[in-house]
Amino acid sequence: MQSIELSNEAPTAAPAAARIGIGGPVGCGKTALIERLIPVLQRRGINFAVVTNDLVTKEDALRLQRSGLIDPTRVSAVEAGACPHTVIREDPTLNIAAGDEMERLHPGLELVIFESGGDNLASTYSLDLVDWWMFVIDVAGGDDIPRKRGPGVLRSDLLVVNKVDLAPHVGVDLDQMLADARSVRNGRPVLATNARTGQAIEELADIILHAVLLER
Amino acid sequence: MATLDVVHVLGSRLDPDLAEKLHGLSHHGTIRYLELETADTARRRLRATTADGLDVGIMLPREERLFDGAVLHMDEESALVVRVRGERWLVLMPSSVPEALELGYHAGNLHWRVRFDEGRLLVALEAPAADYLARLGHLAAHVPHHVEGPDERREVS
Repeated sequence: MQSIELSNEAPTAAPAAARIGIGGPVGCGKTALIERLIPVLQRRGINFAVVTNDLVTKEDALRLQRSGLIDPTRVSAVEAGACPHTVIREDPTLNIAAGDEMERLHPGLELVIFESGGDNLASTYSLDLVDWWMFVIDVAGGDDIPRKRGPGVLRSDLLVVNKVDLAPHVGVDLDQMLADARSVRNGRPVLATNARTGQAIEELADIILHAVLLER
Repeated sequence: MATLDVVHVLGSRLDPDLAEKLHGLSHHGTIRYLELETADTARRRLRATTADGLDVGIMLPREERLFDGAVLHMDEESALVVRVRGERWLVLMPSSVPEALELGYHAGNLHWRVRFDEGRLLVALEAPAADYLARLGHLAAHVPHHVEGPDERREVS
């Protein structure tokens, strides 16, 4: 038999950092979820950074940098200058550059988290930018959100329903909302969280790290 | 269960060197195919499973990407090659300029991936066609349409 030597061996350099996206309407709790994820990822030994997207400010980045949870140099901001969905979907160049810069600044980086709101329920991430993305909605936004079948709800790799503790206070039947979400997503996963108490944050970390091959 | 980690693409099945080795393995070894959706080929990190149960974990450098015919693994006994499932298209056939204008507006507003073919608008499907038609409202009832793609039973409405 002929000699074949082209096996897929481990490279000499560390693989590039995985990139994930966290999208969803303004106020759904994206930044709060990241604040809960940060200590979980740190405890699991993940070398990570965060890139936030805002319209014309660096508000979300400043909130994380001042949180005391993470080295401020591991947080950067992209100012979209327009609705942020434009820089995570139509032309993600600014975010790709921000991710590259984070990898340059922090050798051995394993994960870059991109956060962006914008475009209400239609916000989606380009897979040129991220390897995996999740869409966040919250019960206070209304239990009819899943039935509206927005692209973010339908196409994301994971749908997170946040602020589940508010359901009884805003007249939402949480079980029905989750059932509707699972129904429209054709088997793709749905996770109910509460960023205020930390409910299901460990499970969220499990799902993310499994998806991008960073399980410890 | 067997697993395989892939950290870079070895090349294309059409590259002369790889093609020769694949030819040899087709007679004296095993060639596995990893079937992927078109949209998933843009991911650099991905978990997928071959038809015979081999779990594959892909971790590519950002300058590399998956494509139909990408060779992900090769040794003396076996190879792993990407096979991209054919795209499914919702074919819309407007019968007037006003219909075409309105369809074009919706397709752009909804950020659909489209191509044009002699007066037909083709929308790449990443979800059931019904989801797309629902967004078109009354146009879905007026504009003839059908789905084209691999293994697709042609249904004209």
